[in-house]
Amino acid sequence: MKRMLVLGALMLGTALSPAFAGSGPIKIVLPEEADLLEPCMATRSNIGRVIMQNISETLTELDVRGDKGVMPRLAEKWEQNADGSWRFHLRQGVKFSDGTTFDAKDVKHSFDRIMSDKNACESRRYFGGMTVTPAVVDDYTIDFKADPVQPILPLLLSLVTIVPEETPLEFVREPIGTGPYKLTDWTPGQQIVLTGRDDYWGAKPEVTEATYLFRADPSVRAAMVQAGEADLSPSISQLDATNPATDFSYLDSETVYLRIDHNIEPLNDVRVRRALNIAIDRQAFLGTLVPDSALLATAIVPPPTLGWNPDVKVFPYDPDGARKLLEEAKADGVKVDTPITIIARSANFPNVTEIMEAIQAQLQEVGFQVELKFVEVAEHEQYYSKPFKEGRGPQIVAAMHDNSKGDPSFSMFFKYATEGTQSGFSDPKVDDLIKRASAAVGEERAKLWSELIAYVHDEVVADVLLFHMVGFSRVAERLDFKPSMATNGTLQLSEIKIK
Amino acid sequence: MIPPPDSPEGAMLRFIRKRAVASLISLVGLIVMVFFLSRLTGDPAALFLPVEASAEMKQQFRELHGLNDPLLVQFGRYVGNVVTGDFGESLRKARPALDVVLEAFTWTLWLAIVTMTLVTGAAIVVGSLAAFRAGGFFDRLSSVISLVGASVPDFWIAIVAIVVFSVNLAWLPTSGTGSLLHWILPIAVLFIRPFGIIVQVVRGSMIGALSSAYVKTARAKGVKSGPIIFVHALRNAMLPVITVIGDQAASLLNGAVIVETIFGFPGVGKLMIDSILQRDFNVVLAAILVTALAIFLMNLAIDLAYALLDPRIRH
Repeated sequence: MKRMLVLGALMLGTALSPAFAGSGPIKIVLPEEADLLEPCMATRSNIGRVIMQNISETLTELDVRGDKGVMPRLAEKWEQNADGSWRFHLRQGVKFSDGTTFDAKDVKHSFDRIMSDKNACESRRYFGGMTVTPAVVDDYTIDFKADPVQPILPLLLSLVTIVPEETPLEFVREPIGTGPYKLTDWTPGQQIVLTGRDDYWGAKPEVTEATYLFRADPSVRAAMVQAGEADLSPSISQLDATNPATDFSYLDSETVYLRIDHNIEPLNDVRVRRALNIAIDRQAFLGTLVPDSALLATAIVPPPTLGWNPDVKVFPYDPDGARKLLEEAKADGVKVDTPITIIARSANFPNVTEIMEAIQAQLQEVGFQVELKFVEVAEHEQYYSKPFKEGRGPQIVAAMHDNSKGDPSFSMFFKYATEGTQSGFSDPKVDDLIKRASAAVGEERAKLWSELIAYVHDEVVADVLLFHMVGFSRVAERLDFKPSMATNGTLQLSEIKIK
Repeated sequence: MIPPPDSPEGAMLRFIRKRAVASLISLVGLIVMVFFLSRLTGDPAALFLPVEASAEMKQQFRELHGLNDPLLVQFGRYVGNVVTGDFGESLRKARPALDVVLEAFTWTLWLAIVTMTLVTGAAIVVGSLAAFRAGGFFDRLSSVISLVGASVPDFWIAIVAIVVFSVNLAWLPTSGTGSLLHWILPIAVLFIRPFGIIVQVVRGSMIGALSSAYVKTARAKGVKSGPIIFVHALRNAMLPVITVIGDQAASLLNGAVIVETIFGFPGVGKLMIDSILQRDFNVVLAAILVTALAIFLMNLAIDLAYALLDPRIRH
């Protein structure tokens, strides 16, 4: 009945008045259901794609399409106080979908809630190693004092979703936010519906209602858009992306790399690590096992990230050079014949099995002894993260890392610092650069990150960086929308235009 | 009124009671085993929280969900709660595990009931006719379907069905739920394999029954083919068929993972696999308990059907 009404309304709209064109409901099909609609879990992609900036908004927002950097959202402007704390001036006249007015007390509660031990809010992880204390100045002004001082606090606050002061500390099932949409239906396993709010503070989006459907199979998602059952599928398989009118590829902020454990011989020798790098013919993968439009990686973060270094060059493919390096190392007594295990995760990304087998073959070609081991996600995590097992052999972990946040600080500490959970080595200069870059602002910050990226790649030869991946999406022709680097984790309905 | 112990009804009751006790014991064994085995797979905190989460966050997550207590304490608490009907919360979905499971199981149950009813009806008719005239149309039809069911993977059939019937012909929705039309493709795909198996059992069993002396007698008396097949022979040929129907229904009750995944059908099979991969222990346990209970009830029904069909078992 409801469908008939909507259909009827649509037909009336198109038949009677061209003014109706350019707005209406849409359907989006996603690979994984949002199992929670908890605002403080919005940094997890399956949840964030539905609620981030649609239901729940943040004080600031990172511009991933342009180069505007951190933009205002619920905060109109901000400045750093003399003591290093940050003062945010909040937007006035904003209402939550439950009718209450947004003010500084809500911001403080939202932050305290994330840091509470009554829940397992994921966004808390971005505030590790620092103490942040919010203090309400007046209804529309709030200070965030961080110890140590956080130069990227405005960026970090783009990850903190704002909930009303009354929200309990425990996880909620009915998210209330200030965003342009509110949750109107959630039938677990079937659909989630967001409906546009009339009392939204900002511009009214063209999408009036969004229905989210969930299908695990990529070809079914593609078929649904083709059959008109959905308007948008942000991720389809490369094999299905055959129609240039509807199918787009986009750089999706995932980077595939081989994490090397430097603690175990022969991987502790830089020549061996360099040999690993130049033994792999990265270019040969493009257009074969890896999509044509993927980029060869020289950093763990994709190019639009602050400090990405254009001067760092991809390692050349040089099997003879690799053999020579291995001989040199061997002559110095390095046990280069020790079998090295590559641990990869099944179904981590398309063609992972074939890609890893090809890499194994290329490495064996130059004289490495390589074993390949595929594990499930849970076991993979045990190899990838510390504490590493005692008595392990030389290991390389194939992993995919996602950073769409625009700043390398979300990657560098974890992947390269001595204390980093997935770091396979310890280098005082790396630690120092990470520390200084994290504390720096502006030009200086970009410069330090660039320096770190070059040092890690050229001098330490920390890992084998492979590809910045691309995703494929299918967008119905009635929509005007191109996915971006952020689409993995955020899908702002207000960015979707209807033709 | 309790029937006297030596009456057939008394024997039946005793039989049911005996089966119930035996099933209860295996159910308890199953809980103990799944509880401890699932904990062996590792720490849910590692999967719930991102790889970058700090040790403190993981520690706190475990504290919040009682995962830091000794295993036996956790088990005692679990059993205590289950006895009062509390199956705990789903870690991933932050709501009662039993709700999550029952929601999904309802879909699976309907899918299994409808599919097995259609399969049973069709297999009996086609199998009987195939046995009656070996090499005839129905015999060939059943052979082809059996062959397809045994050899073609169902994910492939499902995808091809979507391409043909939903994308090209636009007759049916690709996937999902909402209307009766949404049920057609999943049921059609699920139908093939059990039908292929059961139809062959019906055929074999019927060939035996049709060549027996009483059928010859009936024919000699001038009874028509219809009643001979469906009244005289079928009843005697049904015992092995029922056993196979039970097996096939049990595998459907455990969830049709592939069909659920492809058609976006929110059943218990995919839920169970996802929960195991995500170490959502409470959901895994509740799902196993619910499906085990359903299978126990179905086996009981099959035993009763045996007794009903075969007086030798009843007496």
